[in-house]
Amino acid sequence: MKRMFSTGFLAATLSVMVAGAAQAGAQEAAPESLQALRVSGKGPIVDVGGTIWNQAKAVKVAMQPQVVTMPTNPNAAVKEVTVRSVHNGEWLALLLEWQDYTKSDMVVVDGFSDQVAVEFPVTYKADNPPSPMMGNAGNRVNVLQWRASMQRDLDQGREAKIQDFYPNAPDADLYYTNRLSADAGRPYLGAKGLGNPVSVQSVGPVLDMMAEGFSSLTVRSKQEATGKGIYRDGKWHVTITVPMNPVGKSAPKLEAGQGTIVALAVWDGGGQEVGARKSWSDWVSLTLGK
Amino acid sequence: MPKVMNWQIGREMDYPYEGKRPQSQFAMIIDTNKCISCQTCTVACKTTWTSSRGQEYMFWNNVETKPYGFYPLGWDVNILSRHGVQDISGPVYQGKTLFESAPDGSMVLGYLPEDVDYAHPNISEDDSIGQLAQGAFLQMPHMQWMYYLPRICNHCTYPACLASCPRQSIYKRPEDGIVLIDQERCRGYRECVRGCPYKKPFFNSITRTSEKCVGCYPAVEQGRQTQCTMTCIGKIRLQGFISPPGQENESNPIDYLVRIAKIAKPLYPQFGLEPNVYYIPPIHVPSPFLKQMFGADVELAQQTYRKAADDKQLLAALLLFGASPSILSGFRHQDGQAIGLDKKGEELVRVPFKEPIFVRPGFDEQFQTHRSNAT
Repeated sequence: MKRMFSTGFLAATLSVMVAGAAQAGAQEAAPESLQALRVSGKGPIVDVGGTIWNQAKAVKVAMQPQVVTMPTNPNAAVKEVTVRSVHNGEWLALLLEWQDYTKSDMVVVDGFSDQVAVEFPVTYKADNPPSPMMGNAGNRVNVLQWRASMQRDLDQGREAKIQDFYPNAPDADLYYTNRLSADAGRPYLGAKGLGNPVSVQSVGPVLDMMAEGFSSLTVRSKQEATGKGIYRDGKWHVTITVPMNPVGKSAPKLEAGQGTIVALAVWDGGGQEVGARKSWSDWVSLTLGK
Repeated sequence: MPKVMNWQIGREMDYPYEGKRPQSQFAMIIDTNKCISCQTCTVACKTTWTSSRGQEYMFWNNVETKPYGFYPLGWDVNILSRHGVQDISGPVYQGKTLFESAPDGSMVLGYLPEDVDYAHPNISEDDSIGQLAQGAFLQMPHMQWMYYLPRICNHCTYPACLASCPRQSIYKRPEDGIVLIDQERCRGYRECVRGCPYKKPFFNSITRTSEKCVGCYPAVEQGRQTQCTMTCIGKIRLQGFISPPGQENESNPIDYLVRIAKIAKPLYPQFGLEPNVYYIPPIHVPSPFLKQMFGADVELAQQTYRKAADDKQLLAALLLFGASPSILSGFRHQDGQAIGLDKKGEELVRVPFKEPIFVRPGFDEQFQTHRSNAT
């Protein structure tokens, strides 16, 4: 079957929308730009409450409901995210904070995880930026999504089990995988057996992905980004950190003193937001301090 | 939105993808008159497909008691009430399908069940719609009634799960029309769970992806019928393939029962998904309820079923239910026997119209012993 939305149609619609958004932005006020403060240190910057964030300028980024592609989310919960940025010459980090009165990190049929994502153009060209809505054909973006559910697994030091959701649930009489070797048991594990990145225990709470438009989001074979999230005082505080010199493809190479752009997306799990049911931001410019 | 032809509602309808029928379409017929809700099908499916962590609550095959049984709770009344009153009186459906009723920003009218809705798979089992008054006796149709409704994924021609998935992780196989969720691509958004009115995609909290009935595709690829069909002790099911509308093959038992004898009806055809599991409606149940569930001409199907004993062709098709583990591509009858055929027209199975009767004397001369009637 052939999907009846041509890429051309979507690209045209998006370019009109983005142009419209840019025009509206020009009439109002250009969004404040982010400055990634140079800090000392080495390695990934995941510390959420550290003093390194004290000097970083906080920028409030306006979030808007996703109403371009189906399913839409006209009543998106999150209206604003406060963003700070630092880098240490090796790793760039963003601290993202937003109000969410319901901590949602348990995933069952009607239970969704709080999530936040940032995206960068893989190759930034000021005169031809990708669509802020997950890029477009030929103009790829690197999407880094933190999930509260994955953070929960990491904080617990193990994968979720059925008793996490239903404390009184007994195990089934027999799980075939208890009696089989890892290889023989794999067919019984569904997506987990296939290594689906949303199913297997990850090393960090951030999925490092790439996209060229709606429906194309794909996890990168090389997972380089990481981060950490803490829920405190009715707010999520999440760091997402990326190497400035990525090893794998489809991630941007960032340099001190240079600029790029970044866009955000947030999901309120308590409001059953997931996938396209999200709030998103337009591009915000980001300059990495020397 | 493209227009596609849905033969079950007798008209074209909106669907987000082009209408392209598979080379052959998985189909099943279930005779509700013979189901005793023993759940052998449910257990066969469970042990074959959903034995892992995160699948504990899942029943890709379930049997529920109608009108008060549901799995998940209230699945059909919930979507029917959202769908609203629709005109289902004529051969050409005048109401709206779930695709045509989609709210702004959605592909299809749907809803997401609550987690607790899956907690009572056997709720209202055997509950009838009321009690008989003192001195009353049952007449046809029954004044107080219930019946069993076995359900699997309908492997719809126009699946709402597939239409709902924003990642296009759901596909309909061109070779047999079986609808599958790509477990490598699914990200667990649950749009399919929300979109399918039959609520047959299930969310797995451990893999964090959605899963569904796979139509026992490894068996079907080998020409074998599904686990739920083969294990049915009441032989109430027949699984095979249905031909595209206008290309009916009278010797294919599925085509014959659905399109020629018109004895087997789709479940809630007004939803517009063109489901491919067909039900022989219960003959003891009043038709107003059944019309909503199986379509306008359900009474004709009930009448035809009552006269099955007089129609050799119909009787032959019905007797071949559960008669062979292999998929029957053809059938005929000869000398009081129903004969099931494979793709090449070769005989697979033979079932007598009447079981032979053996009379054993009360006293066995050979073993010098009396026999009871119990065995």
